Amino acid sequence: MALDIVLAPMALEPKTFNVGEKVRVTVSFKYVVGVNTTVKLLAGPYYTNILGKHLVSTCVGQAEIQLPASSTPADGTGTVDFILIAKSLGGIDNGTYGLRVWIEDTSAVAEQDNVIIVSGNTGSGDMFSAMLPMVMMLLMVGMIAPMTKQLGEGAEEE
Amino acid sequence: MTVKTLDLSLKAIRVLQDGSDPPEEGLLLPGWYVDPQTGQRIFYDPNSQKFYTLAGGVYIPLGYMNPAPKQVAVAPGDRLKVTISFKYTGPAVTGVTGYYCLGIYGTFGFDERLVQRTTFNLPQVTSPPASPNVSDSYTFTIPTGIGTNWDDIYVKIFGGSPGIAGEATTPYLFGYENALIIAGIQPNITEFKIADFAKV
Repeated sequence: MALDIVLAPMALEPKTFNVGEKVRVTVSFKYVVGVNTTVKLLAGPYYTNILGKHLVSTCVGQAEIQLPASSTPADGTGTVDFILIAKSLGGIDNGTYGLRVWIEDTSAVAEQDNVIIVSGNTGSGDMFSAMLPMVMMLLMVGMIAPMTKQLGEGAEEE
Repeated sequence: MTVKTLDLSLKAIRVLQDGSDPPEEGLLLPGWYVDPQTGQRIFYDPNSQKFYTLAGGVYIPLGYMNPAPKQVAVAPGDRLKVTISFKYTGPAVTGVTGYYCLGIYGTFGFDERLVQRTTFNLPQVTSPPASPNVSDSYTFTIPTGIGTNWDDIYVKIFGGSPGIAGEATTPYLFGYENALIIAGIQPNITEFKIADFAKV
C-alpha cells in the first residue's frame, strides 16, 4: 500500500482589521551569506483585479533584519509592522486584500490572497463617490438648459 | 579550513583511435526508461549511446547538465574540491586536460565564471574495469567576488597523446545544476514564508 502525502505550506486564515490598526507579520526563511549583513523586510496589503495584483503602497511597512554570516543554511526570522491607513487619508478602502511580504533586493517573496479583511472606513466618502456622477449630471443639465433656451429664442426671432 | 568536495562521474570513456566499443555498462537495451533522479521519461538509443527526451514529436538528446544529487555550501575563502572519476579502457594516454568550471547554466548555455585546468595521464587498461579506475580533481578557492548565482558546475576532459577528443568537441563532459549554495556578499534566501500575521 502506498501513501500519497503532499507537503504544502499551511494556508493563512483570513483576519478582520479596522482601518487605523497595526498589523504585525512574522516570516521565516533559510539563508546563507558570506558577511554579516542587514536586509530590508517589507509587507503590505494588495488587491487583485483584471489588470493583476496591486500593492496598496500607502500601507506598506518595512523593518530591518540582521543576518549574521553563515556559509551553511541558517534559520532566519523577521517581523514587520504596517498600518492600515484609512481611505479618507489616502489609504486602504473597505474590502478583502491579499498579504505580500518580501525582502528587498532578493528573490524572497511570499504572498497569499484574501487574508486581510478591512472595515471601518466611514460611509461618507463612499456616499459622496456614489452621488458624484449624479451631481455632475445635474450641473451639466443646469449649464446646457439655458443655452438651449437661448438658441430656441434666436430661431424664433429669425 | 576544511575542503568541501563535489564528485562527478563521467561514466565510461575510450580513446578515439582505439576504435573499440566502450566497455559495456549494464548493456542498456533500446527503449524508454525513467530517470530515477527527475522522474522524467527518457529514451535510450544504443547506436548513438545517448538518452533522448521526446518533445513535439522530436527526440532531443539529453544535455550534459544534470540535477545535482547534493548541494555544497561555500563562502568566499572556502576551498571547494571537485573530483571526477570514470571507467577507462584503452592505451596509455599522457597529458589529458581536465577542464573544471563554475558558473551559470541557462538557456543559452554555460556562462563560465571560474575556470581551471589540470593535466593527468590515463593508464593502459586492456579489460573493462568493474568500477571507475581513473580520477582527477581540482580545488577551487572561492573568491570574494563570487556571485550567488554561480551555482552550476561542469567538467570536461580532452586532449592528450594519443588524443581522446578535441576541446570543443569532446563528448566527455558532465555537470550539475544548482550544485552550490553560495554564501556571497548578497544573501541567498530560500524557504521564505509567512509564519503569522496579527493585530498589535
